[in-house]
Amino acid sequence: MRAVLALAPRLRTAGGSDTRLTTGLAVLAFAVTTALTLSVVGGLRGFMARAANPTSQYEVDYAEPYVWLAWIAVVLLLVPLVTLGGAAARLGVARRDARLATLRLLGVTPREVVVLTVVETAAQGLAGAVAGMVLYGVLLPVWSLVPFMGSHLTVGEMWVGAPGLLVAAVAVPLLAAVSGAVSLRRVVVSPLGVARRQTPRRLGWVRLLVAVVGVGLFMVVSVAGGGLGAAVIGVLIACLGIAFATLNAVGPWVLGLYARLLLWRARTPARLLAARRLLDDPRAAWRVVGGLGLAGFVAGCLAVLPALTMEAGSSAEDRLMVDDLTTGAMLTLVIAFVLAAVSAGVAQASAVLDRRREYALQHLAGVPAELFHEVRRREVLGPLLLVGVGSAAVAVVMLSPLLGFAGVTNPRGLLLLGGCLVGGVLLVLAAVESTRPLLRQVLASRDVRPD
Amino acid sequence: MHTTGTPGAAPGAAAPTRTSDGLRARGLVHRFGSTTALAGVDLDLAPGRSLAVMGPSGSGKSTLLHCLAGILVPDDGSVTLRGREVARLDERERSLLRRRHYGFVFQFGQLLPELPAVENVALPAMLNGAPRARATEHARQWLVRLGLAGMEERRPGELSGGQAQRVAVARALITGPDVVFADEPTGALDQATGANVMRILTETTRAAGASLVVVTHDKGVADWCEERIEVRDGLVVGHHVRESWDGAAARADLSAGHGGLR
Ligand SMILES: Nc1ncnc2c1ncn2[C@@H]1O[C@H](COP(=O)(O)OP(=O)(O)OP(=O)(O)O)[C@@H](O)[C@H]1O
Ligand SMILES: [Mg+2]
Repeated sequence: MRAVLALAPRLRTAGGSDTRLTTGLAVLAFAVTTALTLSVVGGLRGFMARAANPTSQYEVDYAEPYVWLAWIAVVLLLVPLVTLGGAAARLGVARRDARLATLRLLGVTPREVVVLTVVETAAQGLAGAVAGMVLYGVLLPVWSLVPFMGSHLTVGEMWVGAPGLLVAAVAVPLLAAVSGAVSLRRVVVSPLGVARRQTPRRLGWVRLLVAVVGVGLFMVVSVAGGGLGAAVIGVLIACLGIAFATLNAVGPWVLGLYARLLLWRARTPARLLAARRLLDDPRAAWRVVGGLGLAGFVAGCLAVLPALTMEAGSSAEDRLMVDDLTTGAMLTLVIAFVLAAVSAGVAQASAVLDRRREYALQHLAGVPAELFHEVRRREVLGPLLLVGVGSAAVAVVMLSPLLGFAGVTNPRGLLLLGGCLVGGVLLVLAAVESTRPLLRQVLASRDVRPD
Repeated sequence: MHTTGTPGAAPGAAAPTRTSDGLRARGLVHRFGSTTALAGVDLDLAPGRSLAVMGPSGSGKSTLLHCLAGILVPDDGSVTLRGREVARLDERERSLLRRRHYGFVFQFGQLLPELPAVENVALPAMLNGAPRARATEHARQWLVRLGLAGMEERRPGELSGGQAQRVAVARALITGPDVVFADEPTGALDQATGANVMRILTETTRAAGASLVVVTHDKGVADWCEERIEVRDGLVVGHHVRESWDGAAARADLSAGHGGLR
């Protein structure tokens, strides 16, 4: 066992720069996951603190609904956060697959392989968690600039405290290790399987288990959180949960249909390849953009609110509430886009590394590098527009009969929504572009001997 | 000019329709740091001829192929294709050269796993500007010609090693290349399947009027070619030309008793 653990650093260096790059990406993804989770939980705590110690009459009257709304934001972001963490763990494992399979063939026991991977992935998770805490510290002053309840949440109110940080420092590496071990099961079960690059069917029950544990955890936390309108929150969460489950079941299927349409219409090699890639694994595409589905829809609904309430000629309190609702929805949407961007970067890096030999040989045979870049852009942009922008658009269109001309006379909410969507889409595209050096490096390699 | 080659139109064995000389290299030198992989190689290959490049591991065979094929830029020397200097073109032009004038068959793993066989074959034709419908039609014809009827819609993962190599041969030939380069094309196959792939590779390349350069360790594979050079320490140390090409000898030698397409 010791000997195997001693091998770990050599396995890492043997991978050269692309192992460094994937390790870096995995750590970055863990860091973003940690920082945004802490921020979201911090925001929730902030609103709870306000509800407990109101500083104005408005807060006395309205602080409690804010807590529910914050809970909704947490739930909306929970799934994309967990998904990104899982993707990071898988990426960290991916590059070592081949070498670990070789170790297995050399007679290292399955248990040792698991331990080795678990240790490495947990180390990445820990590094990411620490970096994420720093990032959270940097972000706190930024969040405190966002106006809520006619004032701002202070850094102190959004600080999760030492216990919060400690939980993150333990939970992130732990989840990383579990996730890494699960994705390594295939190496352990069949070394030849990985050596031949055959991926067995995915384990549906693992996801179910994760979901159940997540919900259970959530219920424990909410009970511990003081049972604030527990019934209402429970119903809300159940609704959101059903919405998520439905979306997750339907989303990949819709993306598959969309891919079929693209394939049928494809005239250029890039369009053809992008459609085929999407059709090949719509679930992978969904993992990147799925989190935007509900966040986009909720943001779309709430973006319409300011115009509606203006029309009704409402009180100052109502207007403040509506403004805050819009702000909160946009903030949730922006965070969902950040998560999608990091997911997209991680997914693209994994895809390039999975196909390194094929891409390098295609390039040797004269396929221009630009083709692969264009395929990547199309592959991400299509689902992004369909799910991220589409869900917001559906919400706006759905509410447009209520909205009438108010959307034109009072376009603030819609403009804000449009700005968030454009910025979010650009951010995701930038993340895809950031893996360009990795692709360039893969395409430049002539060393295309069998692994 | 070069759009798609039609599998049916075989210009005959010698392909005398091509003008001037075929592929020619003079004084090729290539170094990797302090290693001299090529130390001054001369080579001539007429249109429609096939050449096997043999030699021990590390002798510079792949480096030679990469320099001839516009993948590597040699440190010294020249490569001309039909009289045109091609070694020192810039990156974009070399990529274009490979796409328009060359075809490639590698050991394995050159097919994109997401694309069905027919689209893998059609892709280079589409890259050269053929519309999708026409490229797909030509790809279908090539697959049928190479004995892969009924496998058009299979993914590379659903093909045997030999079948995948035949798809790769179709992919290399669909653009109507001047030269086909193959680096250990049978390296991942058993002997019978390898012989079958070599038969198809040499026959179809000759029929299409393209030259063929095959890098191999295997004397049996080399016997399918009309000419053979021996590379050692970056130099050509032997050149054998089979004056009266008689494929039957090699065929009897290699595929006797194995028959069939597997
Ligand atoms: N990218 C590289 N960097 C450094 N040295 C290289 C590189 N590629 C090849 N070499 C060296 O150049 C020499 C020739 O290599 P080459 O790959 O052409 O040999 P080969 O004849 O194809 O061998 P094999 O039969 O094993 O494929 C070898 O000494 C090799 O180590
Ligand atoms: Mg070689």
